[in-house]
Amino acid sequence: MYIIVIGGGIVGYPLCRALLSEGHEVLVIEKDAKRCDYLEDNLGSVCIRGDGCEAATLEEAGTARADIFVATTTRDEDNLMACQVAKYKFKVAQTIALVNDPVNEELFRKLGVDYTVSVVTHLLEPIKEEIPTGSLTHLLSLRDEGMEVVEVRIPQDSKAVKKPVRELALPPDCILALVIRKEQKPQVPTLDTVLEAGDRVIALTRGEDEAALRDVFIGS
Amino acid sequence: MELKKILVAVNGNGADEEAIKLACSVARKSKAAVYVVYIIQVKRSLPLDAEISSEIQRAEEVLTHAEDIASEQDYDVETDLLQAREVGPAIVDEAMERDIDLIVLGMPYKRAFGMFSLGTTVPYVLREAPCRVLLCREPIS
Repeated sequence: MYIIVIGGGIVGYPLCRALLSEGHEVLVIEKDAKRCDYLEDNLGSVCIRGDGCEAATLEEAGTARADIFVATTTRDEDNLMACQVAKYKFKVAQTIALVNDPVNEELFRKLGVDYTVSVVTHLLEPIKEEIPTGSLTHLLSLRDEGMEVVEVRIPQDSKAVKKPVRELALPPDCILALVIRKEQKPQVPTLDTVLEAGDRVIALTRGEDEAALRDVFIGS
Repeated sequence: MELKKILVAVNGNGADEEAIKLACSVARKSKAAVYVVYIIQVKRSLPLDAEISSEIQRAEEVLTHAEDIASEQDYDVETDLLQAREVGPAIVDEAMERDIDLIVLGMPYKRAFGMFSLGTTVPYVLREAPCRVLLCREPIS
């Protein structure tokens, strides 16, 4: 695959190294001349100096034949602009952007970026998992279906404790996929499965129903 | 200094002839093998293995001419056509792959913005080549 990476910094450089080691054709577009030299010294002739937001630079890079376009700079506005030029001018099938401020994630998606990665969001998830803040942990986003795969740990004072699944007022379209109980094998819950405090429930739900699901297991 | 393998990079400029003659002359003493390579620089807008017929035709003409020059020197050379994104790294890679003892480069006398210029390929090869490099600059016309 031909993969173009915008920005050869702390994310772009190791990403390129990993992609090259997997045998992909990779090109980095980097603004900074010294950084270009560093990339050339360490990765070989896979770097061109330029602005990844400019159509002329992307033309030179052969963006029209790229399979994947990844923007990894530390500026969200650059990442968004670069992905949009790649997507709409050069018709790249798959655009991926690093989103530095998670507030911008939704905007990126609305403006056509195919996949967004927010380091902050990824860092928050394990923190939420370890610290009982009473929120859902996002495991996977099924964007085309508008669904989220989430995990919830049932607290001691939850109204769902000691209740079978059939008695829970789950939001419509919500599917409980798995119940993970300490020192037991994970089980697929049935309507008769009785939940206990400390259980971890993996559920599939619509994004807009997350609050209702949270209310069922944790309380408002 | 015993040389077994010599690599000459040509690109069709006026300095090629002198570089090939020099390589043959140096090679003769130790009966070294001489490889002459032409590197087609492929734009990023095309896949690396793209067949650019006009470039290939020119490359073949240059390599045939290189063989003729070597024949005049009564020396056999092996020619090869490579495609790469950058010429400098391609020469160095080829030298490493073939375990070359000496790279011979011919360069025209070039001026850029009124100043003598080595270009980008020659400095790269001088900096990165693992073996000896002989640079043959054509006379100032």
